[in-house]
Amino acid sequence: MQDLNTEIRDIIAVIIEKKPEEITPDARFFEDLGVDSMMALEILAAIEKKYKISIPEEKLAQLTTLNQTIAVAKEYMSQTNG
Amino acid sequence: MDNVLDIEKIQELLPQRFPFLLIDRIVELAPAQKVVALKNVSINEGFFSGHFPGRPVMPGAMLIEAMIQASMVMFYSGQVSAVGRKPLYSLSSMKAKFVYPVFAGDQVRITVTAGKSAPGAAMVSAVASVEGKETVRAELIFRSEL
Repeated sequence: MQDLNTEIRDIIAVIIEKKPEEITPDARFFEDLGVDSMMALEILAAIEKKYKISIPEEKLAQLTTLNQTIAVAKEYMSQTNG
Repeated sequence: MDNVLDIEKIQELLPQRFPFLLIDRIVELAPAQKVVALKNVSINEGFFSGHFPGRPVMPGAMLIEAMIQASMVMFYSGQVSAVGRKPLYSLSSMKAKFVYPVFAGDQVRITVTAGKSAPGAAMVSAVASVEGKETVRAELIFRSEL
């Protein structure tokens, strides 16, 4: 699963224009990394596209850290895989 | 031809005016969900005098602006603001693929579909086509504020 974590971190890094190493697992998106609601939407859409999953927009509020984002992605990836 | 919103109605919804009003007619409208807009591209458009002399190609940025204006019609038509004021939408980021150029004489059909949204942010998918042939597709993210 290391690959998935790294992939998601790199997707986020590109969108929020930070170095991947700055996005530590528990760095807070809004407070620590300057993520705004537009970027959060973009992160959600990028993960949906990359992994061909659909994540409801209610889940946006849970995308608060890298770890949380990975958890949400995994939840919907496991649903897709049955 | 369907004519859900004519140019007068469009001007009631949008603040843009000549030479920067880039949609002529709305032929399909599902408020806050989907809009189909037409842009008739005339050789008299101001940008053709420089883009390019002898080869009138519509600038890609103008097609994106037309998509933005169609999106604003979709947003505004679905909204009755609680404070009696329209929220202001501005483009925050976008991804676009320019597939085929648009020339003078073309009628561009712009289909805009609402995507996910969050407080203060909304995502939109847009496709522009001429006679059924795709010319531009884009994902736009808007910032909204009152």
